[in-house]
This record gives sequence, C-alpha cells and structure tokens, in this order.
Amino acid sequence: MPVIELSHISKSFGAVKAVDDVSFSVEKGELFGLLGPNGAGKTTSIRCMLDIFKPDSGSISILGGPMTEAKKDRIGYMPEERGLYQDIPLERCLAYLGSLKGLSEAEVKRRAAGYLERFDLAAHKHKKVKELSKGMQQKAQVIATILHQPELLIVDEPFSGLDPVNTQMIKDLLREQREAGVTVVLCSHQMHLVEELCDRIVLIDHGHVMLYGALEEIRRQFAANAVLVKGADGVPALEGVERVEPVNGAVKLHLRPGVQPQEVLRELVRRDVPVEHFEIALPTLDEIFIRVVQGRSGF
Amino acid sequence: MTKLLRVALHEYKRHVFNKRFLMGLLSIPLLGLAMVGLVFIIIAIENDTTPLGYVDHSGLLADPIPAPPPEKPDKPVPLVPFETEAEARAALEAGQIQGYYIVPADYQTTGRLTAVYNDKLAGQARRQFYDFLTVNLLRNLDPAVANRLLEGSEVIVLSPDGSRVAAESTFLNFMLPVLIGLGLIIAMFTTGGYLMQAVTEEKENRTMEVIVTSVSPGQFMAGKIIGDVAIGLTQIVVWVLFGALIVIGGRDSLEILRSVQIAPQTLWLVVLVVLPSFVIISALTAAVGAAVTEAREGQQVIGILVLPVWIPYMFMFTLMAHPHSPLAVVLSLLPFTAPLTVLARAGMTVLPAWQIALSAVIQIAVAAGSLWLAGRVFRLGMLRYGKRLRLREVFGKAD
Repeated sequence: MPVIELSHISKSFGAVKAVDDVSFSVEKGELFGLLGPNGAGKTTSIRCMLDIFKPDSGSISILGGPMTEAKKDRIGYMPEERGLYQDIPLERCLAYLGSLKGLSEAEVKRRAAGYLERFDLAAHKHKKVKELSKGMQQKAQVIATILHQPELLIVDEPFSGLDPVNTQMIKDLLREQREAGVTVVLCSHQMHLVEELCDRIVLIDHGHVMLYGALEEIRRQFAANAVLVKGADGVPALEGVERVEPVNGAVKLHLRPGVQPQEVLRELVRRDVPVEHFEIALPTLDEIFIRVVQGRSGF
Repeated sequence: MTKLLRVALHEYKRHVFNKRFLMGLLSIPLLGLAMVGLVFIIIAIENDTTPLGYVDHSGLLADPIPAPPPEKPDKPVPLVPFETEAEARAALEAGQIQGYYIVPADYQTTGRLTAVYNDKLAGQARRQFYDFLTVNLLRNLDPAVANRLLEGSEVIVLSPDGSRVAAESTFLNFMLPVLIGLGLIIAMFTTGGYLMQAVTEEKENRTMEVIVTSVSPGQFMAGKIIGDVAIGLTQIVVWVLFGALIVIGGRDSLEILRSVQIAPQTLWLVVLVVLPSFVIISALTAAVGAAVTEAREGQQVIGILVLPVWIPYMFMFTLMAHPHSPLAVVLSLLPFTAPLTVLARAGMTVLPAWQIALSAVIQIAVAAGSLWLAGRVFRLGMLRYGKRLRLREVFGKAD
C-alpha cells in the first residue's frame, strides 16, 4: 500500500488554480523526488498532503488513510521557508518542537544531544536561534524534522544555503533514513542531487503532473537516439550516424532514425576500433526538466 | 501531558521568564510601593512634634485631662501651658514651640480661639489641640460617652441577605472591586499584546507551518489562549500579593488600610464573569493576529475591537450611584462591558444572583464562540503570508 496517494486533487486560490488534477503515489521506503519550477504547485500539493489545506476535489491517503492528529506524530515536515522560534535557545526550541510530536522531555533531550553533536551544533545549543548562521539554522531545522524518528519525511529544499560539507551531511542523512525504512519525499531544485538520491520522481508544472515514474525510465524515455563513445585513438566516421557532438573527451553520436546502438557497437568491433567507453546517451534530469518546462511554455 | 498543555506551557514560559515581562510585572507594585512610601514621607514631613503652647484665660484647661493619644501615623505633640501671652511669645521666638493658642475667657460661649505662629501649624498639632479641648469640654460626661462622642460612629453596611459586610467609612472598599477590574483589564491588554506578537511572529517566521503539522489549529489556539490567560493571572496574583503585603504592612500605620476586605461576591464575579471575558479578549487577539500581516496592524484592529471594554469607565459615577439602573444591568450582561460594570456595582451593592448567572452564561458562551472563531481564523489565515483575511472568508463555507 502506498504511503502517500494523491488521486486527482485540485486546489484553487481565488481565480488561480494552484493544483489541477494531480495524482501520484509514494511507496514505502523509497526516496521520492517532487520537482517543479517556482509556483508549479509543489508546496500546495505538500500542504494538501499534510492536511494544512483541504483540496477542492480529489482524495488523499497518507499512511493508509485520511490525515489524523495521531498520524502527525509519524510525519516529519521541513518547509521550504524555515520555521524556528528565533528568540529562544536552540535546545529549548528543539525540546518544544519535539514535545509537540509526542516525545517526553527526557527523550527529546537525549535524542537532541546526539543530533546536535552529529551536526556540530552542540556548542551552540544555548544560543538563541537568531544568533546562529543560516547554515546552522538549516541543520537545526533538519534536526527538528527527524527528532521524533518519523516514518514519513517530507523535506522541501533541504540543501539550500548549505556548503558542500553540510550538503554531503544531509545527503548521507537522507540515504540513512531510507535505509532505515523511512519514506522520504524530497522537494528540490537541485536536479543533480535529486538524480543522485531519488528512486522515482514526479514533475509538476502549472499545477499539472508533467512526468511521473522511475527516474531511469524517465531518462530512457527522454533519451535521444544517441550513444556516447570514447575511443583510445578517436572515433572514425560511421555508417548510420547523423551528427557527431564532442562531449568531455568523448563523442556523442546522434543516430539516424531506425539505426540501433547495437549496430554502431558491432561496426566499431568489426573495424577493430579500441573502445574505452560506450553507453546509451541518457539525458540528465536537468535537461529533461528544462525540456519539459520550456516545452510547456512554448519555447 | 497533552499537546494543548504543552503549547500553553511553552507560551507561558516564553513570556513569563522574559526580562520585559518581569519588568512590566514588577513596575505596577513598585509604583504602588513608591506611592505608599511617598505618603509616609509626606506624613513624616508633616509630623512636626515641636511642642504647641497655649494660654488659657477661660479656666477650662486649669487642671486639664491629657489629650487622647493621636491616631496613627500621627505622633504625639507636647502641649505646653503658658501663664501669659508674653511668655508664650518669648518661647515661640526662642523656637521652643511651633506656635500657641490663646483660649479667651468667653471661649465656652463663643468657641473662638486665637492661634499665633510664624509658620503654619502642623495639621496633626492642630488636631491634637482640638481633641485636647474637646476632651476637656466633655470632662463632666461619663468617660465612655465622652469617648464615643470623640471617636464618632462607625457604620457597618450589611446586605439584606447578610452576605456582604463593609464599613461605610472605607472609601477604599468601594473602590477595591473597580481597582481589581482595572488591574484585570490592564493584564488582559498587556498579555493580549504578547499573544498578538507571538501569533504574528509565528506567521512571519513560518514556525506556524511546522506547528500545524504537529498539533491541530484548535489545540494550538486553545493552548496559546490558556497560556495567555495564565500569564495575565500571574500578573494579577503578583499584584494582589503585593497589595496584600502593603495592606498588612501598612495597616498599623494607615487608618484607611485597616478595614480593607474583599467581599466573596467580588471573587465570584472575577471567576464567573471576568475570566471568561479574559478568554474572549485573548481569543479575539489571537484571531486578529492570525488574520493580519503584522503585529502593529493587529494591535490597531484589536484596539478598536475592544474599545467597548472602557464604556463602563465613562459611566462609572452613574453605575456607582445607581447600581440597579437598567443601564447597569444591560452593561453587566453584554460582553466586553460586563467585567468592569459588575465589579463597579459590586463595590456598592449586592448583585442579584440571576444577573450574575445570566452574565456568566453569556460571557462563557461568547468565550466559546471566540475560541471557535480563533481556531477558524487561524486555520484560514495562518499561511496567508502578506495577505489579509476577509470576513467573508471567515464566515463562509469551511476550507
């Protein structure tokens, strides 16, 4: 049974239709990417999932049914705009947010101590939140999100404002959560990170689902009829190749319609070309994102 | 502990353990202490115990009964007899006495006295000399009767059902319920300000979005309002304790404090009428905080909204002079005007039980409605960053 299931949900604010007939589901234990340009309807979809907004139509199932107060303790949510109490010490802020997720004071203290140590914030726990740097606040927000060890984690732009070291730290944490069986919904603009981390994605634009499915499948769907070849002494001109494009010391061979990559490989072997690298040229998620979004906008 | 109580406790601790709150909390009792101190200083300055002389030509004070001991905080002023006016004047010029009285031979028929002094005689010295004269004028009466005449009567005011007893002479007892009412209203507004700030801050810094995925909007609002009322009650308790300390510490020195008492009726009115009103104000403050975009704008809105709270203040003399008038009854029942009206009337009369009960039912019902409204506005308005909520949306169909 999916952990999250959105079925034909729509939500309007006045004349603006933020989400229009959106459906997708997130399976247990997967790292799911929720993508889309600014104003696409991602945050509205998340808020509908979390019962902050009621959809105008459609249905939502979360953790096996409609949202309940009890289920809130099993979910961790990190909004894009960070939300921490600025005027109180970090430790007290975490204690309060943890307690609202049903943890006892002692348990919050014990867990927070571990996470603060891990995220290099232990020395700052008595400082007011507003005295922490943006990156530190970001890490504190991550701690507040996972402190109660949720079954479902929804994180919106968790990498923004982080340096490479801290980005790696959050990446490791998300992978770790997935390995521990936690279902993670990752909302991010940083496509290379989504590509690196997610199993499946949904791409929303102008409130509509544009792409949905396993990441590898989507990349294959968008793959042009091309192969990426690197030969020790270069790559000779081949039959069936329409265009040659140099890519980082290799060449991308764009094949004529109907020509299969296997035919190119066979030809290279027949000609005894020393091949160091041969792969089907798949587009990056970045390229797919731009193609889909620009394609819809009429570019 | 339920989440509602956790929210309430957080709200309470966040404001109560804050320097700004503590300063505000202590400023009013310290102001009270300063005023009492000022009274003592004025009394001490007035308390000139330099002897006062007299020259008696009437024979009334030939073998005088000593003056009765003065009432606190006055100190005894020695009264010195002089044979002649010349001796008295010499003593005045030598600074041995602050002045002297000449009691003429026909004093008992005319009642005329002559006072001679350089600087005006101290009030207490004058009072003590008049008491001295009176006690000697009454010397032929039974001492108990003379004493009664001297002290005057003390009228005890009793309600028909005997539930309320007060000394008529104590102005403070009339005013005490009004002062309690004013204290509660000040507490309502100060804590309402904290609540407004907290809600708008949570909205501005996006904490709201995290919070509503942990607790329901209703629980969150109710928790905040309970915390807010608890903060207000803390203020009141601290102020009452300081007041009690002033009364206990000052009752030996200040006559007015000696008969201070709070009638049980006042306490019932505070619990049944004023506390629900506190909830109404807090809930509306929270609702406005959730609906507006910034605290300052919210404070303006709530300032207008709760203006009726001060209506009884404008009619205070009418309410006290005619505590059973239709105006008094209507203002006792209406939300906002009820707290100050019932307490102003309580100083003067016993309110009929049906009026207290009806007012309590109305206030509690409006408080429940305000809590519902606060929860609804919060749900609708919490994520409207930079956008006001419209009344049509609040009372329209559910989101």
